[in-house]
Amino acid sequence: MSTSPDILEGLLRPSAGDTGIDRKTLAGLLLEIAQNLQPELRGQQNGVRPGDVRLEQLRRLLLGREIEVLSRLSDVMEDPERLAAAVGRVLPTAIAQATSDARLGHVLAPAMEKATESSIRSDPHKLVDILYPLIVPAIRKSIGETIDATFQSLNQSLKYSLTWRGLKWRWEAWRTGSSFAEVVLKHTLVYQVEHVFLIHRHTGLLIAHVAAENAASQDPQLVSSMLVAIQDFVKDSFSGAEHQGLDALRLGELRLWSEQGPFATLVAVIRGDPPEELHDTLRSALSRIHAERHQALESFDGDSSGFADVEAQLSECVTLGQKAPPRVSLRWLVTLIWLLPLLLFAGALGARWWQDQRLWEGYLERLQAEPGIVITELGKRNGKFLIAGLRDPLAADPRLVLRQAEMDPNRVVMSFVPYQALDPQSVLRRLNATLDPPPGVTLAIEGGGIVAQGSAPRSWLERARAVAQALPAGAPAFDPSGVRNADEADEQRRDADERRWQDYVARLRAQPGIVITQAEERDGKYLLAGLRDPLAVDPLALLHEAGIDPALVVARFEPYQGLDPEFVLKRLLATLAPPPGVTLAVEGARIVVQGSASSPWLERARVAGRMLPAGAPALDLSAVRDINDGEIGKLRDVIQAHSIRFDNNAALPAKGQDPILDQLAGELNELTTLSGSLHMITRVTLTGHSDDKGQGTSNLSLSLARAEAVRALLKKRGVDPDLLQVRGAGPLEPAEADSSEAARSANRRVSFTVGIEEQQ
Amino acid sequence: MNAPLQKKICMLGGFSVGKTSLVKRYVQSVFSETYLTTVGVKIDKKTVELDGRVVNLILWDLAGEDDIASLRMSYLRGSAGYVLVADGTRPTTLEVALSLRQRVEADYGPLPFALLLNKSDLKEQWAIPDAELERLRQDGWWVRSSSARTGEGVEDAFKDLAVRVTA
Repeated sequence: MSTSPDILEGLLRPSAGDTGIDRKTLAGLLLEIAQNLQPELRGQQNGVRPGDVRLEQLRRLLLGREIEVLSRLSDVMEDPERLAAAVGRVLPTAIAQATSDARLGHVLAPAMEKATESSIRSDPHKLVDILYPLIVPAIRKSIGETIDATFQSLNQSLKYSLTWRGLKWRWEAWRTGSSFAEVVLKHTLVYQVEHVFLIHRHTGLLIAHVAAENAASQDPQLVSSMLVAIQDFVKDSFSGAEHQGLDALRLGELRLWSEQGPFATLVAVIRGDPPEELHDTLRSALSRIHAERHQALESFDGDSSGFADVEAQLSECVTLGQKAPPRVSLRWLVTLIWLLPLLLFAGALGARWWQDQRLWEGYLERLQAEPGIVITELGKRNGKFLIAGLRDPLAADPRLVLRQAEMDPNRVVMSFVPYQALDPQSVLRRLNATLDPPPGVTLAIEGGGIVAQGSAPRSWLERARAVAQALPAGAPAFDPSGVRNADEADEQRRDADERRWQDYVARLRAQPGIVITQAEERDGKYLLAGLRDPLAVDPLALLHEAGIDPALVVARFEPYQGLDPEFVLKRLLATLAPPPGVTLAVEGARIVVQGSASSPWLERARVAGRMLPAGAPALDLSAVRDINDGEIGKLRDVIQAHSIRFDNNAALPAKGQDPILDQLAGELNELTTLSGSLHMITRVTLTGHSDDKGQGTSNLSLSLARAEAVRALLKKRGVDPDLLQVRGAGPLEPAEADSSEAARSANRRVSFTVGIEEQQ
Repeated sequence: MNAPLQKKICMLGGFSVGKTSLVKRYVQSVFSETYLTTVGVKIDKKTVELDGRVVNLILWDLAGEDDIASLRMSYLRGSAGYVLVADGTRPTTLEVALSLRQRVEADYGPLPFALLLNKSDLKEQWAIPDAELERLRQDGWWVRSSSARTGEGVEDAFKDLAVRVTA
């Protein structure tokens, strides 16, 4: 190994990134170490060879790290930007640590002032904007608190300035030189701080909590979070409180005072009336905590261990309180002081009593004047008026009267038993309520009784009469007779109609052949039902006579055969059609036939009589004569006994027949007259006969000729030819059956037959 | 002595997903449920023990709203984590939970949270497909079904969340 100045030179030459190293001394030092290790090297001066790399290696081995650090440091120091960044990283901590040093403030103040000044100069609005949210609430809060404090002190002063205690406190204020308000506060504000919570603002978590010995509370961790929640709620809900938060709550005698710090909120729960200055106490405790545990508060993450000292500070707050001062035992003075208020109180009470009494009497007067109310008992209990009695349910409501009398209804206890009042007023009221008079009727009290007037329908009138009779004894009389019956005209009309109807029905009943089974009035119509013989009178025809509108009548009649003699008579007259000479008449229970009639008719009449039903009158035919039995019968027999004789083969009567013809003509005329008077029709048939000699046809014509001849002869003698009929019988109807001449002579004749018939 | 650790946890979920009844049996509660309707939040406490250390989860039970906009986001300030609750029988409540999470994330950044699908006892009415949950789990969600009736999933959720917020 050799040394040389070159090597030293090389060592002494600063290498890149290698500054401020005393290479010469270093080289000397290294040389010396080497010589000590190898004594033989001592003789060689500057034995280190220039460019010996081992030297450089050695240097790196020994100082490499330092060289690197130093080079990095110098890099930073020399680069202003990097230096600024490095300083910036530590500046907050440095300033924070230096905060306790008062000099920092002094040093920084001028620079801050300048900075602020230039900022304001360049743009004053900026600072105003920055400060605005702080300044306004701060001013508001400050003014509010000042006013609060003033009010409180004013209240207290007024409250105590005129009392004995007030006088005493004035004396104390004068003696101690403090203000009267201070003294008042000192003595009057009785309060106790029961809880103090220190709550982390950001998370709402409880940092520390201290409670007074006797104070009760729920889980403080929950309470603190809920407090923060409520504060958030208020902030969110009412925009005005945005920067202020909720700093006071009051619930009965509990107050919640909240002081906000940058990182933590201090909430005190106070019972009673705390003085305003307690705010200051709490505020200063909070700022002390912030000053001391700034960092811990800022980085609080829910771990409250390590805040024991904070709890100690909070404990001081909890001890705050003001006990009520003991009573001054100056009895006489107290009595004196109380006397005036007592007197005033008594006076007020007296005035109130008098007022009450006056209202009460007024009320009673009104109540007594009310009809239907009877007061039986009056009294007073527990400051309330008692009243008991009887009350007609229709009388005035005592409670309404109470209102009219301006009494407080809560001060009156009333119990009324219902009864029926009999005084005219109450009875009138009840009548009005029960009878409900129609608009045309008025009820009024007249001379101790009640009189109704006007006009009302009959139904109401009847009700009113019934009520009038049913009124209890002792009640005033009720006279409804002054009320006209509004239905009278109607009723009369109805009565007349009814009468007409009854008359009609009676008349109908009297009619033979009509049986009434139903006759009634329904829904304004008349219903009529029954049996009617078809021969009886028509009931509807009778309506007109009775003056009843047929449209109102519904009639239903079943046909039947009447057994009334009249009817039987009528029916017989209709069926038998008696000939003119016959009359039928009712005689008692019989129908008697008189006159004369032909036998066939008589036969028919007899049959009809037998056919009459049971219960019907009997038909008496005993008085009828048979027409053939009478005069006309005799005449007929006389006429029929005649015959006119004829000679053989002669068409004219034989000699000596004229007297017979004369007699016959007289008899025939008599027959005509008689039959006319008897309403009979008679026919006389002339039958010509011949004997049995000669031919049949000539005999027949001869016989007819003989009949014709006789008719002509009779006509000549005044007989009506219409009466006479002719026929020829030839030899067929001989009078004598043998064929002797005498018989033949007797057979040559004209015979007469009389027929009698009733006139139709 | 090791003082108990406190963590603020918010309970979020749509209307009537059963949030309140889910925790009712497992928490310490002093406030009445009327706070939910008046102030919009009710505070309960759930104590969890982790490796011998007591952690008090201060639960801010926020009133359930299907209208996300009306949620008072300020209540979430300072939360260490949150529990999302949805009703497993009503898929819309899961949507509400998802949008609640987006809203919270937007305002407060990523925070540990757990999703509970409640009413797991109503199996036959279950309306959320497993695939959907699997997808959420793959996205790193902590999802459990839960039941207020059986208590299933509740303790787990709080314990797991306690671990994650104290880590």
